[in-house]
Amino acid sequence: MVLNAYDASAVEEALVLRDQFGGHINLLLVGPQSAAETIRKALAMGADSATHLVYEASSDLDSGAISEILAAELSGAEYDVVLCGKQAQDTDAGLTGGMLAERLGLPYTTNAVGLEIDGGQIVVTRQGDSGRETILLPTPCLVTCSNDMNDPRIPSLKGIMASKKKPISSRPVESAPDNATTMVGFVEPPQRPAVTMIDGTDEAEAVERLVRELKNTSKVLQ
Amino acid sequence: MSKPRFNPDDPFLFESLLGEDDRLIMETARDYAQSQLEPRALRGNQDEIFDMDIPREMGELGLLGSTLPSRYGGVEASQTAYGLVAREMERVDSGYRSFCSVQSSLVMFPIHEFGTEEQRDRFLPRLATGELIGCFGLTEPDHGSDPGSMTTTALRTTDGWVLNGAKMWITNSPIADVAVVWAKAKENKTDPGVIRGFLVEKGMEGFSAPKTHNKMSLRASITGEIVLEDCFVPDENVFPDIQGLRGPFSCLNSARYGIVWGALGAAEDCYRRARQYVGERKQFGYPLASMQLVQTKLANMVTAITQMQLLALRLGQLKDEGLLHPTMVSLAKRNNCGRALEVARTARDMLGGNGITGEYRVIHHMVNLESVNTYEGTYDIHGLIVGRELTGIQSFVPRGNDV
Repeated sequence: MVLNAYDASAVEEALVLRDQFGGHINLLLVGPQSAAETIRKALAMGADSATHLVYEASSDLDSGAISEILAAELSGAEYDVVLCGKQAQDTDAGLTGGMLAERLGLPYTTNAVGLEIDGGQIVVTRQGDSGRETILLPTPCLVTCSNDMNDPRIPSLKGIMASKKKPISSRPVESAPDNATTMVGFVEPPQRPAVTMIDGTDEAEAVERLVRELKNTSKVLQ
Repeated sequence: MSKPRFNPDDPFLFESLLGEDDRLIMETARDYAQSQLEPRALRGNQDEIFDMDIPREMGELGLLGSTLPSRYGGVEASQTAYGLVAREMERVDSGYRSFCSVQSSLVMFPIHEFGTEEQRDRFLPRLATGELIGCFGLTEPDHGSDPGSMTTTALRTTDGWVLNGAKMWITNSPIADVAVVWAKAKENKTDPGVIRGFLVEKGMEGFSAPKTHNKMSLRASITGEIVLEDCFVPDENVFPDIQGLRGPFSCLNSARYGIVWGALGAAEDCYRRARQYVGERKQFGYPLASMQLVQTKLANMVTAITQMQLLALRLGQLKDEGLLHPTMVSLAKRNNCGRALEVARTARDMLGGNGITGEYRVIHHMVNLESVNTYEGTYDIHGLIVGRELTGIQSFVPRGNDV
């Protein structure tokens, strides 16, 4: 089980902020028992505690249902910032963060590549279409994180061993909310054609051959 | 239940046999090795460079002396975890694994096992962080497989010992702050002497460690000699009780155990690269992978690797359970180094002319494994250790053919 790269960046950013300003990092996961290892990894990186809402068939739930489970857990809880990965690495849906903010009534922004605290406000650097935006948010708020935000630390062996002693509250999701969406079709991606390797010993000849291939075979060039 | 899938990179689901702690430690070692060591490996091997930031980096992650108690800088990791770290280091270059093995098994292990409390406190925490670098001096120019015949001596003097002699093929010696040196300790000049361990520190008068040049193998790891010329070592730098070859041999057993895993990592990398290459390279209009000869080579490689994996894992379990016999280590070191060397040579062959260049990396593994197969007990010597165990007859010294 692999820790989602975007979530790893969210954890890393939380660690940097905690080390700078103090505080407590609690991890929150909805997923099968086997996903507990991703919690261990984030605890080994340095997070303080974790809540695992165990649901074996979590991959059958849509973003709406997942965000409802998370919102139920967080409503009434005290926190300054909820940090999420901007999307799941496997499904690329990217909906849960926004939906969760809406359910909790939190101001939020997405695709953060930087995060600071200034006088009780959260300053987010957001990668926009044409450049980097600086956005101020009051607390509490929600921010979804890009993997361009930082380079998540590699857990040390000391961190790995210490993570065994950190509190993990693990309990089952008794009944999951219904999905609001229904998948009605599924097509496997087409098989990729074989890769053609071009010998690069003679650079000029290799470029000529590449152009010829792009024109005649793949028809990328006219 | 979904249909079982055959994973060419882990055909017998070897990694699913690992416990959670061990798997997390493996992932840390792999992330570090692939992100920090792999980019240095080509230049390191070609230009004989060992980046002096590496010890600190490894120390920060806790990769050095990981099996030791926390008060000495370890994390009490399992022996399997220690092996998995060696596997990830050697997946990049046997030289990096050699550095780790020497620091952890040949320096920290004996200081912890045989040292005084004061020696442990003085050296172990700083060896664990990589602030200090250690080396291990047993082999001599004329005494390799037969270390009992060593000629390095330590003669008793007031408050300490005077060491004379030379050690050869010493990993890390030119950069070491402390050397665990094994010498024949003599109360007086006529005394035949008994092997004891000495902690010789950089800066002690009469201690030097010239670098060995023109190695064609393990070029990313620094090797040298240890030269002792009337070098005075105080009593507080001597292991108090351990005497005879049991001392150095127990260190070697620990390091050899790491080599069992390390050789596996090198073999796995060669196999992975060869499999990728034959899938891409076309000759006679078809990928090499479609040729029968190539397929059976791959099959032989993956068979060898599967055997090596399961042998290493079982050995680690036995070591953790306290059921390890040194002959098991000899059998496994011999098998895994021999098999890894075969896999590397086959990979080199499968990559044809490209396999000769450094960029494809398999020739690095191949020449490195020549050293790994030789050091810490050669392939043949380990065969004789297993043979002695099976027959009850030692054959190191030939009998009935005295010359």
